[in-house]
Amino acid sequence: MADVTVIGRGAHVTGRVEGAVDLEIHGRVDGDVAIEGEVTISAQGLVGANVSARRLVVQGAVRGDLSGEEAVRLEEGARVVGDVKAPRVAIAPGALIKGFVQTGDAGAAPRARAHSAARAVPKAPARELHTASADKSTRAATLAGMAPKRPPAPVVPALKKGAKGALKRKAG
Amino acid sequence: MASTVIGAGITIEGEISTDEDVVIHGTVRGKLTAREGVSVEEGATVEADISGGATKVAGAVTGNIHSSDRVDLQAGARVIGNVKATRLTIADGAQFKGNVDMDV
Repeated sequence: MADVTVIGRGAHVTGRVEGAVDLEIHGRVDGDVAIEGEVTISAQGLVGANVSARRLVVQGAVRGDLSGEEAVRLEEGARVVGDVKAPRVAIAPGALIKGFVQTGDAGAAPRARAHSAARAVPKAPARELHTASADKSTRAATLAGMAPKRPPAPVVPALKKGAKGALKRKAG
Repeated sequence: MASTVIGAGITIEGEISTDEDVVIHGTVRGKLTAREGVSVEEGATVEADISGGATKVAGAVTGNIHSSDRVDLQAGARVIGNVKATRLTIADGAQFKGNVDMDV
């Protein structure tokens, strides 16, 4: 019992939470969470910071980056605004996410926004995505790294022969 | 069953505020505000001002304790700080250094 930590529904933690045991968040946390165990953010849970854990299960709301040493699972009702990075990322139908998702071994690596990797992004999870959120995530991926370097040159309609004179005549 | 439990092996640096009970087995640095009971268990370390309802200490607290109800320092407790409460008990074997303010 002593090695399960619960942040209750009415609790608000401001600051850093770290440790080597499992953590359940039913309340609100504004501050980084770094846990070497499983973190569960329940449907009432609200986290306004980066969360890193061995395994991460989200049913509630997170504004911040999620990183899992093993896996991150976004379940139905999860709302995430931020990047998700883990060897395995599962996004259930009904979970909403706005951010950059990266699966694979790089999940355990320190946070580095690999722009080139953006191309290889959401493979398997994208299929499961809610359609609305899929649009958002592709847009986010585009913003993150796939945007063309410079916009195409503006198209200027060529004036017809004699059109200049016509304009002049109109003005006069 | 308390609604908020800070397990052994967890460290919170910052502020905890809740309108429910808090049980601490781990480490808290900063500030702790609860409307209901606060329990600092054996092995816990709190370096924070505590304000809450009935407060029970069996671990180490460095900071002031302000309770709207009673404060019980149990055997094995180690408290450095001032205590303000309606009632205070200090068990034989508890260590305490600080001012006590009770309604007299």
